[in-house]
Amino acid sequence: MATDVKPTRKNLMAIEDRIELSERGHDTLEQKRDGLIMEFMDILDQAQDVRSDLSGVYDDAQRKINMARAMDGDIAVRGAAAALKEHPEIVTQSKNIMGVVVPEIESTKVKKSLDERGYGVVGTSARIDEAAGAYEDLIEQIILAAEVETAMKKMLEEIETTKRRVNALEFKLLPDLYESQEYIEQKLEEQEREEIFRLKKIKNKKEEEEDDAVAVESVA
Amino acid sequence: MNATVGSANYSYVSARVRSRRAALFDENDYRKLIRMGPGEIARFMEETEYETEMNALGSRYDGVDLIEYALNENLAKHFDDLLRFADGQLNEYIASYLRKFDAWNIKTIIRGVYTDSETQEIQDDLIRAGEFSDAMLDRLVESTSIESVVEQLSKTLYGSALAEAYEVYEETGVLVALENAVDRAFYSDMLGGFPREPSEGTAMYVQLLRAEIDFRNVRNALRLARSGAEIDPSEYFIPDGRLFDADQLRQLTQNPDQLTEYLRDSTYGRDLSEALDELESADGLIDFERALEKALLEYADTMTNRFPLSICPVIAYIRAKEREVDNIRAIARGKQAGLSTDEIEEELVIV
Repeated sequence: MATDVKPTRKNLMAIEDRIELSERGHDTLEQKRDGLIMEFMDILDQAQDVRSDLSGVYDDAQRKINMARAMDGDIAVRGAAAALKEHPEIVTQSKNIMGVVVPEIESTKVKKSLDERGYGVVGTSARIDEAAGAYEDLIEQIILAAEVETAMKKMLEEIETTKRRVNALEFKLLPDLYESQEYIEQKLEEQEREEIFRLKKIKNKKEEEEDDAVAVESVA
Repeated sequence: MNATVGSANYSYVSARVRSRRAALFDENDYRKLIRMGPGEIARFMEETEYETEMNALGSRYDGVDLIEYALNENLAKHFDDLLRFADGQLNEYIASYLRKFDAWNIKTIIRGVYTDSETQEIQDDLIRAGEFSDAMLDRLVESTSIESVVEQLSKTLYGSALAEAYEVYEETGVLVALENAVDRAFYSDMLGGFPREPSEGTAMYVQLLRAEIDFRNVRNALRLARSGAEIDPSEYFIPDGRLFDADQLRQLTQNPDQLTEYLRDSTYGRDLSEALDELESADGLIDFERALEKALLEYADTMTNRFPLSICPVIAYIRAKEREVDNIRAIARGKQAGLSTDEIEEELVIV
């Protein structure tokens, strides 16, 4: 509350300093928010493309594994899947987009050649190869989607936080500071006016006393 | 009962096989099945040849899994019957051909042991239609390591191939070498044991087996070529086919167009023309594999018509029965996965 501050000149100066700092902070945060939104829009476009690709790749993988299960049997497909030794590995690093730390996911051993999948070539069919290949593509696409969508979520959180800070400065902190500044200024002006009034009173009183003294002397 | 003991009873087995072949699902049955949902397919099967297996397995499985396990069990029962019907040399030929299920079971057990699967899960996936006894399969399933599986198989026809492949497995840690060794040992063995001067029917059977090997070599070579992996196709080459030796296949694989031309000019040119057209027009190999399968079924039927009192009708029946199982499974799984009627129809091979 503005009335909580002591209406002193020192406090006024402190508040003026805080107002200046807050206004600068508000401008910077507004610029950051706008920048983040622009970056977010780019990532959003990318995420939409990745999501749509992911949906297509998933449908394709599902269709191929269904075909393999239908034609070669569930047992053969499960057996071929069980023969896999080298499972995909994922390494996460981080990069910085306008102060927001977003993940960078690198995957290895996702795409495999026919001899790396573990199952024998002689006793299996091209359907199993196609299903395995389609699922490898799907895993790559999921990893890409995870990277882009996590970045998107983090950007959104940061935009939200920045927006809240800008709003707090714009609608709470700065108005309070302006109010305090105005209150102190008014109070100081009032004190000044009171001081002048008081001085005038004293002066008048002194003049009256002097006049009274002169009158007494003249009567005497 | 069998008219001859000790020598091959071709006429008796051919008659039994003919009647069983006639009982297989025909186009009308498939047309009905395609229009049913998985539940209806299961009910339909309960009223057919598969009734016993569906009822026996009904308490353990449900849905499409029940259908698939019932199909496998029925397949094993029919093939066991063939071995019971056949005597002498014919029995040996059938047993040798049915060893493909031993190969399947060995691979299933190796994969199960490799992934520490539950014993019951591995047992469920076996198709007991081969030569291995139930006791032997149970012992293999109980194995705690792949080394133990290889050791137990050391006295079988897969022994030496598996022992060699086990060294590669120890180096690489992947099952490819072991699985390929099992399949190659099966194919090598299949062509052994024929008399030097076989009857015309047996000679045609040998031709059929060699065609199967050729087709598999072509399939595998094309898969390797299309995978883009730097693998030498001769590593996966199955010897004893009619068309290629390992070097020839390696060279032809580098140029798929040349391979297609070579096949068109080969002895299978006419039988494979449809499959080769599929190969040239499609991006994937699936249509080609299906067309090869169809060609092989038709080839077996042609042999049957030419030599009705030979092993050929039995092999044609075995392949047709396997195809029936594949077709029913394809319909049930396809329906479960929501594939359209056209898509499922396209995948069926009906001869």
